[in-house]
Amino acid sequence: MSNSLEFRGISKLYPGVRALDDISFKAEGGRVLALLGENGAGKSTLLKIMSGDQRPDEGEVLINETPVSFVNPQAAISAGISVIYQERQLMSAMSVMENLFPGALPKNKFGLFDKRKLYSDALAIIEKFGLPIDPTEKVGRLNVAYQQMVEIMKAYRRNSDIIAFDEPTAPLTDAEITILFKVIRELKEEGKVIIYVSHRMAEIFQITDDIVVMKDGKLVRQFKTAETNEAELIQAMVGRDIGDTYSNLSRCTERGDVVLEVKNLKTPYVRDVSFTVRKGEVVGLAGLVGAGRTEVARALFGADPVTGGEILLEGEPVKFKSPRDAIAAGVALCPEDRKEQGLVLGRTIQDNIVMPVVDKVTKYGKIVDRNRMSELARAAVSKYSIKTPSIDKVVVELSGGNQQKVILGRWTSEEMTTKLLILDEPTKGIDVGTKAEIYQTVCDLAKTGIGVIIISSELTEVINLADNIIVMHNGHVTGTVTREEATEESVLAMAMLD
Amino acid sequence: MENTENKSFWQKYLKPLVSHKVFTLILLLLGLWIIFSIWANIVGNTFFSLPTMRNILASIVLSSFLTIGAGCLLISGALDLSQAAVGAFGGMVMASAIAGWGLPWYLAILVALALCAVFGAINALLVDKFRFPAFIATLSMSYMAKGLMYLFSSLGSATGTAQNIQFMKPPVIQLLGTGNLSKSIPVLKDIPVGVVVMLIFFIIYGVIMSKTTFGKKVVLMGGNRYAAHLAGINSSAITYILFINSAVLGGVSGIFNSAKLGQGQLLALQTNQFTGITAAILGGISFGGGAGGMGGAFIGLLILNTFQIGMSTVKVNPFWINVFTGILLLVALSFDFFARLRAGQKTARQAREAK
Repeated sequence: MSNSLEFRGISKLYPGVRALDDISFKAEGGRVLALLGENGAGKSTLLKIMSGDQRPDEGEVLINETPVSFVNPQAAISAGISVIYQERQLMSAMSVMENLFPGALPKNKFGLFDKRKLYSDALAIIEKFGLPIDPTEKVGRLNVAYQQMVEIMKAYRRNSDIIAFDEPTAPLTDAEITILFKVIRELKEEGKVIIYVSHRMAEIFQITDDIVVMKDGKLVRQFKTAETNEAELIQAMVGRDIGDTYSNLSRCTERGDVVLEVKNLKTPYVRDVSFTVRKGEVVGLAGLVGAGRTEVARALFGADPVTGGEILLEGEPVKFKSPRDAIAAGVALCPEDRKEQGLVLGRTIQDNIVMPVVDKVTKYGKIVDRNRMSELARAAVSKYSIKTPSIDKVVVELSGGNQQKVILGRWTSEEMTTKLLILDEPTKGIDVGTKAEIYQTVCDLAKTGIGVIIISSELTEVINLADNIIVMHNGHVTGTVTREEATEESVLAMAMLD
Repeated sequence: MENTENKSFWQKYLKPLVSHKVFTLILLLLGLWIIFSIWANIVGNTFFSLPTMRNILASIVLSSFLTIGAGCLLISGALDLSQAAVGAFGGMVMASAIAGWGLPWYLAILVALALCAVFGAINALLVDKFRFPAFIATLSMSYMAKGLMYLFSSLGSATGTAQNIQFMKPPVIQLLGTGNLSKSIPVLKDIPVGVVVMLIFFIIYGVIMSKTTFGKKVVLMGGNRYAAHLAGINSSAITYILFINSAVLGGVSGIFNSAKLGQGQLLALQTNQFTGITAAILGGISFGGGAGGMGGAFIGLLILNTFQIGMSTVKVNPFWINVFTGILLLVALSFDFFARLRAGQKTARQAREAK
């Protein structure tokens, strides 16, 4: 009998809102079904219902045509459902094999745990997937891709027939994505039901067979992947035709003086990195995860030590001992991890915006000037159309896109004199509509004479947004191309060069 | 955006006041007052009276300085378990500076506080530079301070044993320790000078934490230390300032203790290792940092001592008082927990409605 997972009339009500509204579709075994939608479309809620974390208010879930209902995640797991979240749920201080068999450790005849059997059982699974992982290695020491593989193998070990992936490729490099896809295809061959949630279009077309598009808790349309295209999907997702995001951008065409010149930059993580950024120019740093792009950004921002080479800001050599120095000199960084490194999530929008300029927003010496503070915050909210009822809203309550805009607002407030803005993965986890807004914002900032460096793991994004693309591999620059010259293939080739 | 004109008086003024955490705390305090007043009546005692209030205020003087120091640190996301031990050390130093070395009172205080500051600086060094968890660094420091205090007090004794160091109180120390306000002011008479100093400290620190750029930076750093660092906030400097501040305030507390008793006491502040932290948390300062203020900490301290004095007024077995204090702390924290839970649900709902 082939596996299947069916949602029938699923609704989930939260006070005042329908998070899911009459969702019905069926995922067949041996096929990969993509769940597509902007943030807040209801994909996560649906995954939570699948995993037994939440219960639907109406409708039912059927596995192999049999209605099921889960009291808790454990029940869903025993029913054969595994959801693999972005935040991996592994015990990082434990070995791979222990992670593969949590709560199911083999015992020997004395009732004690049988390490040898555990090892051989674990090895069998790892070999089945053909991965170069040592079962005794601590999970925390594996790279993210392999950690994810451990999670997948765990699902496989449990004999899960239904496996859902929540944005699995977000932390992975292209090479790692290839491994992941190979594994997914194998699971598919075995007739498992695969649900695949992702924002990345290219992947959807590469790996999925069916597509379900959701918006505002409703199912918009179902597609066969082979019979649709990107434009159609985006239209279904956002409910409007946003056309070609990149060709509609109003770019900055004027080039001013050189803002930043990097000469043979050397840090503990990168070497021989040289490039320049002009006023009004958007420079992209492309490369695989681990190529050293973030490390370059951090060095320019004074967050990592520079061990060699030169950084010239508007022609003047600079040496930043801390981000504080860099900010004072006009360098700003929107860090990769918005929530961990960018924002103080528990504080308000205005607090987050004035962070670097607290010392300037004062009256009578050292007293915080609240009026000035809210003035700056209001300016940012209107400039970037941050969706919020008030500047006193706590940023944890904002969507990812609006949070990113708060950070942009921070670095471009009236009290800042940002000359160089570094954006590390500015659109990570942000939905398509807001992405386009952020792209335009980047161009608008360039028009004000700021030099922009943009780092993104989405190749399409860097090569279409940046005017010049610096490609990195393994800690050094392997090539420089202009937007006109760049193709995904050529940049990828340079990014994988050895 | 906000539209201030369309808001009613309730929305504009009363609602923020009522929804403020300190307001809830004040209600809790008033509730305790009412309960104990009635209860005391039943057992044939009085609770609601000026002397009781004065007692409560007088009883929090020593711990108030600890609370301020602990509160500021907690807001920044750190904590200091060595305050009380360092404070006792400071009290001892002052006593022996006056008794043994014959220093004038102001120099004695200065020396005591400076030595306390050294402990604070070492704490900060361990936490900031060597990345020790504050818990471990300051726990170690509390043992060291205590040991050093015993060593120090044994230096002057003929037998080499640790001892309380008696000293003749200079007038200013006398005033700080046991002085009262002028008898001529009716309501304020008999209020200890220590209470006045405490209130001044609370006001000064309240202004620093809630109104100045420094306070704002402390809160932001407490909310997310790394993000604050990447936004140019000098978190190292703040860490040093706050640890030194905590140790010095511990010293102030120790000095008040010595001034009150006329001796550097080996057992000074012995029961106070966690009082500052307890009061601060009770007063709504979040244990993880990034929220809370001095007003709350003050009320928290009042609640703690109202509770303890109230319990003894109604003749509850003293052993039970600690049990109930523990329960009080849990209840207070559960308020916080439920408030956050509600806020979380509200947030989730708003987030969904926004779409």
